[in-house]
Amino acid sequence: MEYSEQRRDSLVARLRAGNRAAAAELVDIYYKQIYVFMRRLGHSCQVSEELTQESFLAAWQHIGQLRSEKALNGWIYRIAGNVSRLYWRRHKDSKAVSVGGIDVPDGSESGCDKTGHLEQLGRLKNAVIKLPVKLRQAVVLHYMQHLTIAEAAKAADVRQGTFKSRLNRALKILRSQISSEDGELL
Amino acid sequence: MREEKLEKLLNELADATTEPVHPHLAEDIKHQIPPQLSPHRGGMDTVNIIIDLRINKLTAAAAIIVTMILCASFFGSRSLEGDSIYQDSKLLIKYCLEGIDADRSNVLTAKSRYEYLAKRVKDIVYYGDSIDPKDDNAVLIQWKLSDGKYRVVFGDLREKTVSAEELIKLQARMLQKKAE
Repeated sequence: MEYSEQRRDSLVARLRAGNRAAAAELVDIYYKQIYVFMRRLGHSCQVSEELTQESFLAAWQHIGQLRSEKALNGWIYRIAGNVSRLYWRRHKDSKAVSVGGIDVPDGSESGCDKTGHLEQLGRLKNAVIKLPVKLRQAVVLHYMQHLTIAEAAKAADVRQGTFKSRLNRALKILRSQISSEDGELL
Repeated sequence: MREEKLEKLLNELADATTEPVHPHLAEDIKHQIPPQLSPHRGGMDTVNIIIDLRINKLTAAAAIIVTMILCASFFGSRSLEGDSIYQDSKLLIKYCLEGIDADRSNVLTAKSRYEYLAKRVKDIVYYGDSIDPKDDNAVLIQWKLSDGKYRVVFGDLREKTVSAEELIKLQARMLQKKAE
């Protein structure tokens, strides 16, 4: 859902005032994003649902920390990221699982090209899930959840420089993994 | 260019891996919205930060109390004499490890009372370290009054003025119980 800046400001103001309707609105806007974020971080479907709920419960408890209208994205993803991090800490034996199938819309590519492209995406998906947690989170926040560097750095609770460094390290690893499997330099 | 291609692929991957969400998830979450959303939770943020350090709530509470005692001592509202901070901290840690125990709580309260009175009255005796904290009738503190009688604080924090004879009986009972 596209959300105008004005409505976002009003939502944040109402949330800070403790308005329940605003809380429900926040759920409508973000529940799909947070669920998919959890899935992309490597949690299973069931765990992702639980962690999405936990994230919102934590959000209700930390509404006082929501200070600026522009910080809404960073705030909610920061909470979700912390919930996910705590889950990994408590379940050290759990393995990251990647999101199910890949669905590419029909384009101008021929059948053969499309198969090759799908394979490449499949390899990239597996490489992302094998990244260390912090690097995976950086890639997911910026490239897959489409947060700006500033928002994503806030969500990861690090300085922008540190976040960019994580992104660079992640891209380097991904490039080397895809290249070695592909025999092709990306 | 190579990096751009990888970034483009990652963006494509995001679009290609969007999963359908359980239809009831949003409703389930909305049911859990608390009736009163309070933006100000006094002190809870401090507790949450300490809990985030992966220590349990009781230990977090003990850490906060000990810090408050130390601050009070630092700013002069509590005496550092007689290693009371050390004793208080020891009792608090023991208290936390043993869980919430009303009897120990009484002993802690009585000790604070004793420390307060010790500077103001003479002939005061504290038995908190040697009595059974579960014994409501055990004498925790005693001190002599100006009329020759004694004021006694019991295990359940009751207070009573007794004569010298009554005090001897109470002490004899305590010694007998200890011997058993």
